[in-house]
Amino acid sequence: MKKNCYPILDSRRLITLLAAMLLTFVSYAQSTVSGVVRSEGDNETLPGVSVLVKGTTRGTVTDLDGRFQVEAAAGEVLSVSYIGYATREIPVQGGQTEYEIVLASSMSDLTEVVVVGYGSQLKKEITGAVQTVQGDDLLDIPVPLMAQKLQGQLAGVQINQTTGQPGRGMNVRIRGQLSVSAGSEPLYVVDGFPITGDISSLNPDEIQDITILKDAASTSLYGSRAANGVVLITTKRGKAGQSTVSLNVYRGLQNVPHYNRLEMMDAVEFAQFKKEYFEDAGRPVPAMFQNPSQYEGQTQDWYDALLQTAPISNYNLTINNNTEKMRTSVVAGYFDQEGVVLNTDYERFSLRINSDYKASDKLTVGFNLAPTYIRDNIPRTDGSRGTGILFNALHTWPNMPIYDDNGELTFFNRFPSETGNIFAYPNYVRSALEITNETKQTNLLSNAYVQYQPIEGLEIKSTINAEIRNSKYFYFNPSTATPGMNQAIPTVARSTRDNREIFSWLNENTVTYTKSINDHNFQLLGGFTNQYFRLDRTQVVGDTYADDRLPTVQGALNISRGGTISDVQEWALTSFLSRLTYNYKGKYLLTGSIRADGSSRFGSENRWGVFPSVSAGWVMSDEGFLSTSDKVSFMKLRGSYGVTGNNNIGNYTQYALVNNTVNHVFNNTVVPGAAVTSLQNPFLGWETTHQFDIGLDLGLFDDRIQFVYDFYTKNTTNLLYNVQIPQEAGFGSITDNIGEIKFWGHEFAITSRNTQGRLVWTTNANISFNRNRVEELAEGIDRVYGNVHITQVGQPFGQFYGLVKLGNYMNEEDLNSSPQVPGRSTVGSIKLQDINGDGIITRGGDNDDRTIIGNPFPDFTYGITNNFKYGKWDMNIITSGSHGNQLYMRHLFSTANLDGVFNMVAKATDRFRSPEDPGEGIFGTTVGGGNVTGIERDWPNSNFVWDASFFSIKNITLGYNAGTIANVVKSARFYASVQNVYIFTPYWGGPNPEVSQQNNGQGDGGNLSPGIDLTGYPVPRTFTVGANFTF
Amino acid sequence: MKKISIFIALLGMTMSSCEEFLTIAPETALSSATFYKTETDFEQAVNATYAPLRSIANSRSWLLCEMRSDNTIYARNINFGATEQQEDLSDHALPEDQGITTNTHVLNQYRQDYLIIARANQILTQIDEIEFNQASKDNLKGQALFLRGYAYYELARYFGSVPLHLTPVTTREEAALPLTPESEIYAQLISDIQAAVNLLPVRSQQGVGRASKGAAQMLLADVFITQKRWAEAETLLKAIISSGEYSLIDNYEDVFSESVGNKNNAESLFEIQFLEGPEGLNSSFLYSFMPRPISLQELQPITGTSNPQPLDGEGNNIPTPDIIAAYEDGDLRKDASIAYVEISGSDREDKVYPYIKKYAKHHELHGNHGINWPIYRYAEVLLFLAEALNEQGKTEEAAGYLNQVRNRAGLANSTASGQTDMREAIFKERRVELAFENKRWFDITRADRVQEIIGDFGARALANPLDYYYPAGATFRSNAFTNITKYYALPAAEAEITPHF
Repeated sequence: MKKNCYPILDSRRLITLLAAMLLTFVSYAQSTVSGVVRSEGDNETLPGVSVLVKGTTRGTVTDLDGRFQVEAAAGEVLSVSYIGYATREIPVQGGQTEYEIVLASSMSDLTEVVVVGYGSQLKKEITGAVQTVQGDDLLDIPVPLMAQKLQGQLAGVQINQTTGQPGRGMNVRIRGQLSVSAGSEPLYVVDGFPITGDISSLNPDEIQDITILKDAASTSLYGSRAANGVVLITTKRGKAGQSTVSLNVYRGLQNVPHYNRLEMMDAVEFAQFKKEYFEDAGRPVPAMFQNPSQYEGQTQDWYDALLQTAPISNYNLTINNNTEKMRTSVVAGYFDQEGVVLNTDYERFSLRINSDYKASDKLTVGFNLAPTYIRDNIPRTDGSRGTGILFNALHTWPNMPIYDDNGELTFFNRFPSETGNIFAYPNYVRSALEITNETKQTNLLSNAYVQYQPIEGLEIKSTINAEIRNSKYFYFNPSTATPGMNQAIPTVARSTRDNREIFSWLNENTVTYTKSINDHNFQLLGGFTNQYFRLDRTQVVGDTYADDRLPTVQGALNISRGGTISDVQEWALTSFLSRLTYNYKGKYLLTGSIRADGSSRFGSENRWGVFPSVSAGWVMSDEGFLSTSDKVSFMKLRGSYGVTGNNNIGNYTQYALVNNTVNHVFNNTVVPGAAVTSLQNPFLGWETTHQFDIGLDLGLFDDRIQFVYDFYTKNTTNLLYNVQIPQEAGFGSITDNIGEIKFWGHEFAITSRNTQGRLVWTTNANISFNRNRVEELAEGIDRVYGNVHITQVGQPFGQFYGLVKLGNYMNEEDLNSSPQVPGRSTVGSIKLQDINGDGIITRGGDNDDRTIIGNPFPDFTYGITNNFKYGKWDMNIITSGSHGNQLYMRHLFSTANLDGVFNMVAKATDRFRSPEDPGEGIFGTTVGGGNVTGIERDWPNSNFVWDASFFSIKNITLGYNAGTIANVVKSARFYASVQNVYIFTPYWGGPNPEVSQQNNGQGDGGNLSPGIDLTGYPVPRTFTVGANFTF
Repeated sequence: MKKISIFIALLGMTMSSCEEFLTIAPETALSSATFYKTETDFEQAVNATYAPLRSIANSRSWLLCEMRSDNTIYARNINFGATEQQEDLSDHALPEDQGITTNTHVLNQYRQDYLIIARANQILTQIDEIEFNQASKDNLKGQALFLRGYAYYELARYFGSVPLHLTPVTTREEAALPLTPESEIYAQLISDIQAAVNLLPVRSQQGVGRASKGAAQMLLADVFITQKRWAEAETLLKAIISSGEYSLIDNYEDVFSESVGNKNNAESLFEIQFLEGPEGLNSSFLYSFMPRPISLQELQPITGTSNPQPLDGEGNNIPTPDIIAAYEDGDLRKDASIAYVEISGSDREDKVYPYIKKYAKHHELHGNHGINWPIYRYAEVLLFLAEALNEQGKTEEAAGYLNQVRNRAGLANSTASGQTDMREAIFKERRVELAFENKRWFDITRADRVQEIIGDFGARALANPLDYYYPAGATFRSNAFTNITKYYALPAAEAEITPHF
């Protein structure tokens, strides 16, 4: 019974049954004691609770109304226990025959069963590093994505929200896993199905529980997809014996607080800056800037004009219908979020039907069906100068009018050239309002299984899973609006349509045999699986429309040949897997597993990968020397070693592809052209990670304090890498498996029930220290440069790289006595460090003065969650933090451009103007134009690198349990919640210290360029009120 | 038990089809294993070998040749903060360290040439293994050899010694080769082009716009002239003339391609082909050649587009006072080559700027024209022949060819007498006849007059920044004209990867 898909429920039933059988028959005459058992918090009666007279064989279980009767004498002790609750011991008082016993839910019961890969295990007997979160604990948090809800709650898992765009931008890294060019997101497995699409389409309210598999012993059964860690998601299924209807609702408002926005110059400060700019250059001050105070109160806050207070709402209706043979759970959800940036929104309709049918004692069949529909619209808010509306709005001159004299939005602003205005600024409010950037997705996730138990202990299971995803993307900028820079209006209207259809199926067949001989317990799993994936994609790009109101394909005067694409992506995966679990008395634990993956992505000479693991555990608290301790209630030492892979290497990377669209033209007639555009590699394979983990699980004071510690080291080798080759070859690179990165880290998690009784206060805290170091790159290559990054052997991945700023040249003497950039350095300009000591400052080449100037990775990340229950009230406070990480304030190349072409950060008011007025040292002189200011702006240097440590109060929720209402509502709970309450950080470059904008149009591409801030979509603060009703 | 047997049967069935299930070739792309099998495949491969020429003509050659010379210059807009890589080329201020430069245009020129070479190598190593019509095969081989020769000739003139690749690279190990001495590069490219001359049909028998025998003869003559192999050049050039395939067009203004019309005309031996429209095969160099910042009202009369946009930044390839002064009085080519525009947004007192008119042809949409770029035209055949003859002491005969070109431009016969005078006359004639056609820089380098001509030019410019389009009070950077060299340094991005330089 232990080994099936619904372990919690079934083992609960099993134990209830056993307890009943063992205990009810063996009572003998004492005085009769009776009572009722309730659960703390909701005050519901609990059926099936074991009530045992301690030290005897007398006992019973509570009936459906939670009542019990047992023979007991005064002075004896009732031991009341139930799965999921802390056991209580009640002394029997003489003369008292009726007892009301309240059980508090246990933070962790060692008889708890945890879902693991291809099965489930008693938590006590797990030998790997896993962590479980209950879906119900996440219900109140008013965000649409599961990953958002998990922020701060998991040790060893760094979850960053890199942009506030509704429904997007979550970056999940388990144990700091990274790759040079393969994906680093964990594998998400929903009800046993490794999904191929984006997990963000899952309604988190459908989740029963989430198990994070971190070490290789836990993940290696997922073989070539496991190296980034695995997240197992189990969706809600009917609970035995209960039929319920419940409704969860919240509604609220979101806004962007002012306290941590990037502070730009207002119109007066900007005019003053421009005035000083011309004065310092000895040029006449344009009339517009001769009297800065005229702009008092006239500031046009372009950034603020793009923001709004926006509603958010969520509705979920759940029905559980359970009969003896059939259990069904239906969750219907609707989530609707308007964004805090104008014209952005996210909407999700979801439904999930999970059914299990017990055809006979030996045969169970089940179906899951989960359609979702998601629509969002986010008009190019993020991105660099030229592509991101928010970035562009920030540096638009604050004296440029948003509205014209008639109260209409202006189209674009451009002042005469003598003001130094060299760019036309489109009205970005109009851009946000008029640009469509919409994605509509229809997803269907479905599973079916047959489970057959021919003989005791043998279980055969076969599943068929299918995933269908259709998405339609539509972009249109009319002739009146553009997300770009320096375009006059009317501009060229453009449209992009991208339609994708994904189909994936998976068939899994497993056999599990469980056998106990004396105290030796064995379980053997064997399995065979096949998975297939196909994506069909069509993109059509058109431009130049006769009429903005008809952005059809046929309405475009031009269909762009370069942008119009049809594409097919396919892969197939065949796997064999096996696991043997053995324990002696549940005390000495041993597990070995192996998976072999054959993948269409691997080169023909390297098609199969084998991924073994082994792990062991020792439950020390079951040994004589500890079992008598009243302080240590549980202690387990465990260790594991295993091999996993990362197969996110592209579907056709092994092939030398011929591009047949390298067309040419002769005499105005297009002729088709074809050329080999990549080199083949028949030996191409997966990335391999060898991971070692050692951990300690400790329960103190009857498990009131539980402590988990893990230390891990990982070596990722055979990194998928686009090895650059000299382009004299006609190719830029060949994709190969090379190099090595080492990772190691410590994770601590503690759960403490600080107080019990009327006030129940529990604290969960975790802290993780993740480190990595590049051990090897390609032969003959010891470093890879990004624009502002370097990945170098012997150093952590993706370090910021550039020149070191020492300050500004304070005066002639300082200038003359210091190394300079020949022909460019002047008094007041940036003073850089002469790293190689040759007396001049050089960027690049053999006399390079660049060095590592910062680290985007934190020293440690942590989370603290406090939960309080007092009577009918409860409160939850979730916090998370990160320490020692830095961000590269990339936007400063525009927002602190000293040539006065853009609006600037307010800090630039205090820049170097003269030796007598040197400013605070962050920004240098404006005199000398690009030849001088360009060093500070265009040469990546340490002035861009800032501490982005933060401590964030993610969520505060206050709830009230109203209990039964008018016989209709069995239980009701009301709550108010605030999300993103406050962020404490020294970082000043923008509102989101978790930001990381890669692939941003500035050439900061891919995994090698973490920690880039280009002022993306702000993460809103959200206030909600909600209610949960059960009928 | 029945269910179990079904299960096992299913298992067995799936296992046996494993390898097939796991072999998935790309559906929307071809792989090299299946390509290069038919005549059509090789036709397409040859077409793709021409493709990099578009990028070279549209955005590289004029930077590395014309703006490097004294014909054009980078017009600085001091309100535009950035210091540009183009400016480094124009001002002879290229950052250079031990024969390596970080300039991105140098890098891109280098890479585009090797792209042509790699594509030609794929064709040339495989075409003989496939059976198809010999005439078609010769023609395709001839084109591939012409293009490979052309690319190596560019590399040899820009860099001198470069790596020599003659077979396709298939592994990482084969990618980097040592530098081959310039003389050996020349030996190889001469052999390639000579083979092309023998394989290619004459223009009237060839597809319009493709490399023909005449184009290959002209390319080879160009190489010989650079190598001062005058007699061999003379033979080739006379063969072109006697082929009767080419002639001068009466009106100089009518020589140049329009956006759609007047392409591959009677005077054209070889030109880089473009197509106006959304196919992505268009050119846009006219926009690069505009002085800036230019408003849409100022730009529209030049481009004639229906959707003009203003242009910011800095103006490239702006005619210098030197080239303007180089035209003799009455030279019809002056007004056909250079025009003027008033830029209201200029910081200069004198807001009138010259621009290249040769290519200023009207087209429909902003930033997208189909103007072809001339590589070889008949006027240059005549001037080359004049030069080859004069260098062999046949000055009289040379004058006749020179005067054909002069007379067409409305000028009287040259008064030059004697070999030295005639040499100078041809040198000057080439400058104005072929102005802005990327000939000037190589004329200077092959005459070994880089220091003399560019040095003087630099001194003039530094002394009179106002004349070179700087506003009052502004001037060149302090390192302008400090790095005047015949060859370009090799690109840094390649040097970082190859062990050989």
